[in-house]
Amino acid sequence: MLVLSRHIDESIMIGDDVELTIVDIRGDKVRIGINAPSSVAVHRKEVYEAIRTENEQAARFRGSIDGMPLPKARETPRATRGIRLTADQRPPRRESA
Amino acid sequence: MILQTTRFGSVDVDEQRLIEFPAGLLGFSQARRFALLQPDERGVFFWLQSAENPDLAFVVTDPSLWSDEFAAPLRPEQSEEIGLADVADAQTFVIVNRRGGALTANMQGPLVISAVTRRGVQVVLAERRWSTRHELVRLEGAQVASA
Repeated sequence: MLVLSRHIDESIMIGDDVELTIVDIRGDKVRIGINAPSSVAVHRKEVYEAIRTENEQAARFRGSIDGMPLPKARETPRATRGIRLTADQRPPRRESA
Repeated sequence: MILQTTRFGSVDVDEQRLIEFPAGLLGFSQARRFALLQPDERGVFFWLQSAENPDLAFVVTDPSLWSDEFAAPLRPEQSEEIGLADVADAQTFVIVNRRGGALTANMQGPLVISAVTRRGVQVVLAERRWSTRHELVRLEGAQVASA
């Protein structure tokens, strides 16, 4: 990993169009300003990690979704249509995880 | 084409109806093509079944059924990536999980799909208002037990 030292108000360029500026330093917290084109996604890493972790856990969902509770204030059903499963293709209602 | 699936056995799907995630889903970048399987008439919960990995399937639901306020803003580049010309063609899903006696939804990482091109993207929302474990509804005893 490349490590650079910067003072407040100094910047780092990444490529031609991503600029990171050290805005403020207080104790163990650094405030960083980011100038980047809208095509570059900028997020706190922990948000990515949380979504990845949740995807991985949701992929372990076992059992059936038959009989799951419906939304309380159900609006007019949307025209969402999936590919219909036949009864024998549905997983059993009770299945150990 | 016939999809081999761990949960549903062999499922015959029209290849035209597969949904492609060009970048995959976070943590599953290798799984690109999915089928949206509908187990019942209600059309609330669906299975997003991988076409490449028989064991990989997610329960998904349309967040607009559960919240009037939820929105998944797309950057122009993301709209372009999935070929979304008109917002009206966008279909949003969130991945559902079962946790602590409730169904939760990953509202921070919604899936936005173009109904026209059938391409989709998992969006990362910066807003802290929506969490990865947004509670949709509490489960009754038997439903918890089947978890």
